[in-house]
Amino acid sequence: MKTREIVVLTDVMLITAVVQRGMADDLVKAAQMAGAQGATVHYAYGRGVRERLGILGLAIEAEKEVINILVSSEQVGRIFERIYLEAKLDTPGMGIMWVTPLEKAATFVPPELVEKLSQ
Amino acid sequence: MAVEIRFGDFVHEVTLHQKCISANRLMPSVSGDATYLAPKIQLRRLDAYRMIRPYVTVRFVEQLKAVVPLALYLVLFQLLILRQGLAESWVISAGIVAVIVGLMFFMEGLKVGLMPFGEVLGNTLPAKASLRLVLLIVFLLGIGVTFAEPAIGALRTAGQIVEVENAPYLYALLNGWAGTLVLVVGIGVGAAAIIGTLRFIYGWSLKPLIFITIIPTLLLSLYLWLDPHLNSVLGLAWDCGAVTTGPVTVPLVLALGIGIAAAAGQGQSSLSGFGIVTLASIFPILGVELLAVWLSLVTTPEAIIAEAAGVSQLTTLPMWYELSPALEIIAGLQAIVPLVIFLYLVLRVLLKERLHNPGYIAYGITLAVLGMIIFNLGLTYGLAKLGGQSGGLVPAAFTNIDAVMGSPLYGTFFGLTLAIGFAWILGFGATLAEPALNALGLTVENLTNGAFRRSLLMIAVSLGVAVGIALGVAKIVFTLDLALLLLPLYLLALLLTIFSSEEFVNIAWDSAGVTTGPITVPLVLSMGLGFGHAVAAVEGFGVLAMASICPILSVLMTGLWINWKVARKHRHYDESLQAEGVVS
Repeated sequence: MKTREIVVLTDVMLITAVVQRGMADDLVKAAQMAGAQGATVHYAYGRGVRERLGILGLAIEAEKEVINILVSSEQVGRIFERIYLEAKLDTPGMGIMWVTPLEKAATFVPPELVEKLSQ
Repeated sequence: MAVEIRFGDFVHEVTLHQKCISANRLMPSVSGDATYLAPKIQLRRLDAYRMIRPYVTVRFVEQLKAVVPLALYLVLFQLLILRQGLAESWVISAGIVAVIVGLMFFMEGLKVGLMPFGEVLGNTLPAKASLRLVLLIVFLLGIGVTFAEPAIGALRTAGQIVEVENAPYLYALLNGWAGTLVLVVGIGVGAAAIIGTLRFIYGWSLKPLIFITIIPTLLLSLYLWLDPHLNSVLGLAWDCGAVTTGPVTVPLVLALGIGIAAAAGQGQSSLSGFGIVTLASIFPILGVELLAVWLSLVTTPEAIIAEAAGVSQLTTLPMWYELSPALEIIAGLQAIVPLVIFLYLVLRVLLKERLHNPGYIAYGITLAVLGMIIFNLGLTYGLAKLGGQSGGLVPAAFTNIDAVMGSPLYGTFFGLTLAIGFAWILGFGATLAEPALNALGLTVENLTNGAFRRSLLMIAVSLGVAVGIALGVAKIVFTLDLALLLLPLYLLALLLTIFSSEEFVNIAWDSAGVTTGPITVPLVLSMGLGFGHAVAAVEGFGVLAMASICPILSVLMTGLWINWKVARKHRHYDESLQAEGVVS
């Protein structure tokens, strides 16, 4: 009986960014230019900081986009910084971002690459 | 010994420097049972500026994109093709900036200040009130939103151009009866909102509703057409339908309807969002026609002419509140404040519901009122002026206009082609740029599982509007009878409706209302009136009416064509299967 083989990736990090609705497209583009492969975006609703900003909170959209990007542990610093700059996270109310180390991940990896890399 | 440094690390060090702070030191230490109240965040000026700048620019650019191409097209056409300088160019430029700023304020105010009302009402109303009460509130809301619609102001300004001797009833409707006219349009929208809501709840089909409403409207049109005095009202009546379905009515009524349908356990149908727009543009037509008939019963043309003559003799200096800036400010307040008071009373007295964040709502309402005032000012000084000017000058291409030296500028045939081509391109460009059309296209693509592509719908609607506006202009130039154009086209639309599937009927009849936004309507309306004035037509209405029916036809036909193509493909597929002997 032939055992089936699956490919598991290690050294993966997850970058999650929460930004105002409508920003995700630009951020994903910036992350891709820094080497990210793709991203998952979902919608969310944020509250807390917006209310504490007082009248200026009106300039902040309460509807958010949450962007999940899986990157390699070597890329993570670069992409993290690129997103930071693109999202202007040094401005109040613009959002928050974090990095989570992941144990493993799995997705489609082209067979020829698997062959080359597993040698 | 050589030291190895990764190039990446080196680049990293020179470009960005990360300063690490422990979150333990940043967060407040709360021990035991103590409650912690998060303090207000203190901002530096720079931070405030950085926050506000993107907020303003995004919204400004959005309106800029909608207004500027159209205005630019009109100006360039006037400068290059007609070789006429732009009169009062500074006033018009300032007016257009005012339109952009006003729309920006108004849209944001609508989103922050008025939409929460609609949502709260839609969610709580059905639970706390009987269906009859719900319908009554929906009806009143329909009237309220009509007054708040920015484009309705354009209709009011249009009245000043009509000559009382040529079209007494039209003059009376637009001047002495202007308030009643808007009220009747509002009642039409209210009735449409009621039926739309019932449709949400019971999942009625749109087709019979279209037949029930369109056929009396057409019959009444026929009656008006045959009456020599009422003839001229027809254009106004059909234009009113296009004016009503703007940026206030559609989202507010939809939010309410969807909330009610969700509470009634219906509204799962993907089509439930459609139909209200259609009804909200047919009922006002019927209403205005009925008003015209009633007007003809209570008064005579002679009386109106005599009264108008009396008024024009009496006119001394207009009161301060009838002069330009005050007039727009009052109109802006009138549009928003009653609607807000009504919504608030329903919410507080009837539902005993509180609003979250009253501060935000107050801010939104202030913005909406301010935006409405600025928009109205911009309309008077910018868009209406520009549209009227272009409309008045374009006929110089083919006929003799006093204001233009050496007119006609071109031969009759070429000049006419130029003028009608001008209208065609205006319609096509304005519609394609309308953001609502893009949204509709996406919805339609999802609904039809990609059979009706978004670009196809956008082009079909834009072509329809373009042909419609060109036809409308032709109507004014050749003084064609509007009824002779409208009646056959609507009959054709009804015929196509019989053969179309429910989805395409919904999409097609709604697509017309979607395209007539707050920029297209005033521009096209004033252009038509300027055009009519220049060629000495009785009235310049009817362009919008034509721009409403033609996209319905083009979308219905496209839908039928797609159905035919899909059916043919299926047939092909079946035949090839049979030929291969798969299906016996």
